[in-house]
Amino acid sequence: MKIARCTPAFQFGRTPDFGPRLRHPLAGFPAMAQLFEDFLPATNSSNLVTDLHEDTDHFHARFELPGVKKDAVKIELHERVLTVTAERVVKAGEKELSRTFTRSLALPEIVQEDGITAKLEDGILSVTLPKQESRKPKVISVN
Amino acid sequence: MNTTCTANSCAPFVGVTESLRKPRYSVANDNEAFEIEVELPGVSKSGLSIDLEDDILSVRGQLSARLPDSWKPLHCELSTLDYQLRLRVTTPVDAEKIEAKLEEGILKVTLPLKAAAQARRIEVA
Repeated sequence: MKIARCTPAFQFGRTPDFGPRLRHPLAGFPAMAQLFEDFLPATNSSNLVTDLHEDTDHFHARFELPGVKKDAVKIELHERVLTVTAERVVKAGEKELSRTFTRSLALPEIVQEDGITAKLEDGILSVTLPKQESRKPKVISVN
Repeated sequence: MNTTCTANSCAPFVGVTESLRKPRYSVANDNEAFEIEVELPGVSKSGLSIDLEDDILSVRGQLSARLPDSWKPLHCELSTLDYQLRLRVTTPVDAEKIEAKLEEGILKVTLPLKAAAQARRIEVA
């Protein structure tokens, strides 16, 4: 048996890298973010409010999508980046305006891509990202 | 990366009382009714209450999903606070005919104006 050098992909205590794509200047300060949003209506489209949680078997991503119908939500997975795009039709007097919201999430390698599921309920989109069985932390018993 | 989602992490702000937040809303009106649209993502029909007392219309929305304790937060932007919106209605409305509809996290309340409050066109004889 040969003992190989520990490769960078195999690090202990490594936190999943959902990375800078998710970083928002006001992340963690929703009230402040809301205040800013009230005064500076978003002109760009990357303003989807997002949450990310983890349990032993899954990652759970949640997106706030009030007023968005199920068929107006698109979830794409490309090169380990999950992108949620949603279109909301807002009435502005006589006219109907359409606004597009989008947010991307870089998935860590532990996510099993073909097991991802999504659900839209009460204006919240929940995406469940299962972890690969073979990559979960294991306990090795001592003989 | 170790942000925790607790009610305390959301400091009270403008229009936000101790453990409630003010939702985004818009008001439109025509000659017959006021139409109020309130954004309440995360609120289901059972967690919603709408009252008109004197001239205050109050909307309260309770978040339907409490996250399981086993979920470890990695990144938090969604607030865990419930919603409260209080609006003063200064024009007489027909309280019996108020209608409300909740769809995809958007509440639409229609407050029909009382006949006396509607604008009338006066024909010149």
